[in-house]
Amino acid sequence: MSSPANDPQLNSEPEPKFSVRSLWKIFGKNADGIIGGEYERQDRDTVREATGCTVAVRDVSFDVLPGEIFVVMGLSGSGKSTLIRCLTRLIEPTAGSVVLDGTDIRECSPQELRELRRHKAAMVFQHFGLLPNRKIIDNVAYGLEVRGQGRAERHARAREMIEMVGLAGYEDSKPGQLSGGMQQRVGLARALAVDPEVLLFDEPFSALDPLIRRDMQQEVLRLQRELRKTAVFITHDLSEALKLGDRIAIMRDGELVQVGTAEELVGRPADDYVRDFVADVARTDVLTVRWLMRDPREGEPLDGPTAEPRTVVREIVPLLAEGTAPVRVMDGDRLLGVVGRTEVLRIIAEDQSDDGKLGTGPQPLADGAEA
Amino acid sequence: MATETTPRTAAGPDGGQDGLLHRTWIRVAAVFAVLIAGYGLLRGQMPFPDSLDVGLGALFDDVYAWIVENRNTSPLFLYGFNYASVGLGSAVILINQGLTLLTPLGVIVLGTFAAWRVAGAKVAAFTLATFAVFGLLGLWDQAMTTLSLIITSVLLALLIGIPLGIVAGRRPGFERALRPVLDFMQIMPAFAYLMPMLLLFGIGNPAAAVATTVYAIPPAVRITALAIRGVDKGALEAAESLGSTRRQILAKVQLPLAKRTIMLGVNQTIMLAVSMVVIASVIGAGGLGDAIYQALNKVDVGRAFEAGLAIVLMAIALDRITAAAGDEARGPHVPPALRRPLLIGGLLATAAAVVVGRLAGLADWPREVRISISDWVNAANTAVQDVFGGFTAWLAEATLNLLLDPLRSVLTDSPWWLVVLAAAALGLALGGWRIALVGGVSILACGLLGAWEESMDTLSQVVVAALATVVVGFAIGVLASRSDRLAAVLRPILDAMQTLPPFVYLIPAVALFGIGRIPALAAAVVYALPPVIRLVNDGIRGVSANTVEAAESLGSTRRQMLLKVQLPLARHSLLLAVNQGIMMVLAMVVIGALVGAGALGYGVVFGMAQNQLGLGMTSGLAIVCLGLFLDRLTQSAAR
Ligand SMILES: Nc1ncnc2c1ncn2[C@@H]1O[C@H](COP(=O)(O)OP(=O)(O)OP(=O)(O)O)[C@@H](O)[C@H]1O
Ligand SMILES: [Mg+2]
Repeated sequence: MSSPANDPQLNSEPEPKFSVRSLWKIFGKNADGIIGGEYERQDRDTVREATGCTVAVRDVSFDVLPGEIFVVMGLSGSGKSTLIRCLTRLIEPTAGSVVLDGTDIRECSPQELRELRRHKAAMVFQHFGLLPNRKIIDNVAYGLEVRGQGRAERHARAREMIEMVGLAGYEDSKPGQLSGGMQQRVGLARALAVDPEVLLFDEPFSALDPLIRRDMQQEVLRLQRELRKTAVFITHDLSEALKLGDRIAIMRDGELVQVGTAEELVGRPADDYVRDFVADVARTDVLTVRWLMRDPREGEPLDGPTAEPRTVVREIVPLLAEGTAPVRVMDGDRLLGVVGRTEVLRIIAEDQSDDGKLGTGPQPLADGAEA
Repeated sequence: MATETTPRTAAGPDGGQDGLLHRTWIRVAAVFAVLIAGYGLLRGQMPFPDSLDVGLGALFDDVYAWIVENRNTSPLFLYGFNYASVGLGSAVILINQGLTLLTPLGVIVLGTFAAWRVAGAKVAAFTLATFAVFGLLGLWDQAMTTLSLIITSVLLALLIGIPLGIVAGRRPGFERALRPVLDFMQIMPAFAYLMPMLLLFGIGNPAAAVATTVYAIPPAVRITALAIRGVDKGALEAAESLGSTRRQILAKVQLPLAKRTIMLGVNQTIMLAVSMVVIASVIGAGGLGDAIYQALNKVDVGRAFEAGLAIVLMAIALDRITAAAGDEARGPHVPPALRRPLLIGGLLATAAAVVVGRLAGLADWPREVRISISDWVNAANTAVQDVFGGFTAWLAEATLNLLLDPLRSVLTDSPWWLVVLAAAALGLALGGWRIALVGGVSILACGLLGAWEESMDTLSQVVVAALATVVVGFAIGVLASRSDRLAAVLRPILDAMQTLPPFVYLIPAVALFGIGRIPALAAAVVYALPPVIRLVNDGIRGVSANTVEAAESLGSTRRQMLLKVQLPLARHSLLLAVNQGIMMVLAMVVIGALVGAGALGYGVVFGMAQNQLGLGMTSGLAIVCLGLFLDRLTQSAAR
C-alpha cells in the first residue's frame, strides 16, 4: 500500500525549512530552574513529583526539509501537540531554538511573529478551534481578514477552499450545524486559505471517516507535490504516517526516540518502543530492495529480473518465484546489488513471527501481514 | 446552583464526616454556654469601656466640618467631586428631560417596541401594562426620575465594570488583585456606603447615582471576566495561530463569544441598580423610592403600596427585557433583511407618537386618567388588621419577649471581652485560627468604633431573623425537593421575589406589624427566604440519583434517606444557603431602621438626616464589620 518514501536526503542536502535545536518545554512554576539543574536528566514522573513541573518536550532536535512531510508519532501525552505549538510559539518554549527559513523564531518580536503566522505557517488543530458565532465562510476567511484583506477578495478565496475540502453549499452554516468531520475540514480550509509555506497539522484527520480521510490525505500529498508545501504532521495512525511521511519521528515522554524514513524505523528500530510502534507494519510493504540488497556472490547467476532501488520487497516476491536467480537492483544501467530468496524469506518470516506474537497465525504469502 | 462535586457524592456519607460535624456543633454549643454563664455572673458589670473608643466618630465630625468649610474652595472639590456631582446630576436631568420630551405616549411606544423586539410579545404586553400603572397611579414623573437614575448609574457601572472585567478576564494577575475588592464590595450592605457618598457629592441625585453605580459594578466586572475567561481555548489558539493581534482577538473572538454571558452580567447590574436606587432615596434620590420613603415615614401603607407596586413592575419588566437581550431566540423572528427597516419603523412610530401626543395636549399624563388604589389598600389593610391584628400583635410580642430582648440583653450586658472571645471561639470552631482572628477583631472593632450597643442590638436582630429564615427556608426547601408540584408552583414566585428591590419588602411588613424591630425582622425573613429555599431545594435535588438509588436499595425509609443521605450530601449547598440567608438578613435588618428598627441602621439614617458624619460613618463601618464577621464565619463553615 505505501510507496517507498522519496527520501529528500538523497538529493543534494538543501537548507532545512525548520531547524529545531535542543528544544525544551516544561510546564509549571520555576520551569527555568530545571534545565541545567539536578533534575535535568531525571525522567518525567520524578521531575513532576519533585518539582510539580511537567517536562512536555525534552531536548528535541530535528530538521524539516523544504517540501517534506515530517510526521510525528507517539503515545498520548508524549508531547506532540506541545512540540508542534512550540514551532510557532503558540506555546512559548522553555529553551532551545527554532529556526524557520534562517530566522530564529524565538528572537522574533511580537510583530514579526504575527507576520510569520499570517503568511508563513498555518496550523490545523486536533479540536478544530472554529469560531462558533461565525459562518463557515467567515471562519475560513478569518486568516485573510486579520491580514486586512477586503471582504469580496477573501470570500472568493474562502469559497474556493471550501469547495476544495468538499463543503460547497455550507458557506452560510454555522460550525455547530456541522458534523465533527465537516468541522475538521473547515479547519483545514482555514489553514489553506492563507496559502502558507508551512502547514502544521495536529491530528487533523482524526474525526474523519475512512473515505473522506483518504481524500484529505490525497489532498495533502497533492499540496506537497504540486505546490511544494512543507508540512509537520502529527498522527496516531501508523498507516497514515507511512502514507504521508517522508520522514517519521517517534516521541516518548517528550523525547525524540528516533527520526527516520519508514524504512529506517521498520528495518532498524532504535529500541523496543519504536519496535512496538511499527510492529503491525508488514516489512514487505515498507522495506525496499535497496535496503535489502547485497553484493552478488561469487558465481551467482546475474540474469535474474531487474528492479528499481525503490521497489518494495512485496513487489519482487512474484519475480523471485519465477526463477532461482536473484533480483538485480539497477539504477539505470548500473548494478547496485542483488536481492535473493533468503533475504526476502527472512523479511517474510519476521513479519510472520510478529503476527504469531499477536496471535493471528500465519498469513498467506501474497497478502503479507496486511490484515 | 452549587452542585455536589463528584468525589463527595462518590464517597457517600461516611462516619468521619458526621463525627466531625457533631464535634463542631458541640463546640458551638459550648461557646454559647460559656457566654450565657458569663452573662449570668457578670451581667451589666462590664460594658464596653468608653476609654477604648478610638475617637473615629469625632475624627469624622472634624472631617465633615472641614468639608463643609472647604467644599467651595478646595481644589479637590472644586475640580473633582463637584464636577462629578454636577456632571452626574446633569446626566440624570438630561435623561429625565429626554424622557419628558418624548411625552408619556412616546415613552410607551418606544419602550413597548423595544421590549417586543428583544423579548417578544408577552414581555411587551407586560411592559405596556407597567407603563399604564405608572400613569394611572399618578406616579409617571416619579417613575421617569427613577428610570433616569437607573439608566445613568447602569451606564456608568457598565462603562467601568465591563472594561475592568475584560482586563480581569485576560490577565489573571489583575483578576487576583481585584477579587478581594469585589468580595468586599459584595458583602458590604448597601446602607453602609451611603454616608460617604452623601459627604462627597452632597444630598441628591448625584450621590444616589454614585452609590447605585458602586453597588452595581461588582457583577458587571465578575460576569464579564467570567465570560471572557470562558471563551473556548481552542478558538482563541486558532485565532492566534493565524496571526491575530490582541485587539483582533478581543474584537473578533473574545467579545462575540462572550456576549451572551456578558448580557447576563448587564441584567444583574440593572437589577442591583434597581434595588439600590430605591434605597438611595435616603440620600435624596427622587422618584419612586422617595415616594415609598415618604409614605413609610407617614405610615401611609396605601401610598407606599402604590409606589411599591410601580417599582416592582419596573423591576420585573427590566429583568425580563434584559434577560432576553442576550438571546436572539427569545425575541420575535425577524429576517436579517427586515431588521433595519423594522428599527426605523419603530423609531418613526415613536416620533409619530410624540407628535400626536404633543398636538393632543398630552405632554404629561392626563390628570383625569387616574385611579388611586391607596384608599382601597388602606381599607384592606385595616380589614386584615381587624382579622389578624390580634395574632400579629401576639406574634410580635412573643418574638420580642422570648427571643429578641433576651438575646440582645445577653449580647449587650455580658462582659464585652467575653463577647469578643466568644466571636473568636466561634470562628475557631467553624473555620480555624484565621477565621477566629477575623471574627474577634471585627466584633472588637464594633466597640472601638463606639457602636458597641448598637452593633449588639443589630446582631441580635440578625440572629433571630436568620434563625427564622433558616428554619422556614429549610422546611420549605425540603418539601419542595420532595414534591415536583410544589417546586413548580414555587419557582415563579421565588423568581419574582428575587427581582424585587429589598425596600419594598418593608411595605407589607409595616402593614402587618406597624413600626419597630418586628416589621424589620419580618421583612428580612421574607427577603432572605427565596435564595435559601432555592439552594436547599437544588442542593437536595442535586444529590446524585445513583446514591439515592443505592440507599433505596438498602431499604432506607424516606426519613432515613433525607437525614442520612440527602442532607449530608447536600451539606455544601445547605451551608451556602445559611451564608446567603444571613447576609441578606443583615442587609435588610439595617434598612429596617427606616421603619423603626433602630440600632446601627438608625445611626446611618440619623447621621445622614442630621449631618452627623461621625455617627453615620461609624455606624456604617460597624455594619461592615458585622457583615465581615457573619460572612467569614458562615462561609468557612461551608467549606
Ligand atoms: N498547559 C499545560 N500545562 C501543564 N501541562 C501540560 C499543558 N499542556 C500539556 N501538558 C502536559 O504535557 C504533556 C504533553 O502533552 P501534549 O498535549 O503535548 O501530548 P500529546 O502528545 O499531544 O497527546 P495526545 O496524543 O493525547 O494529543 C502531557 O503530560 C500534558 O499533561
Ligand atoms: Mg495532542
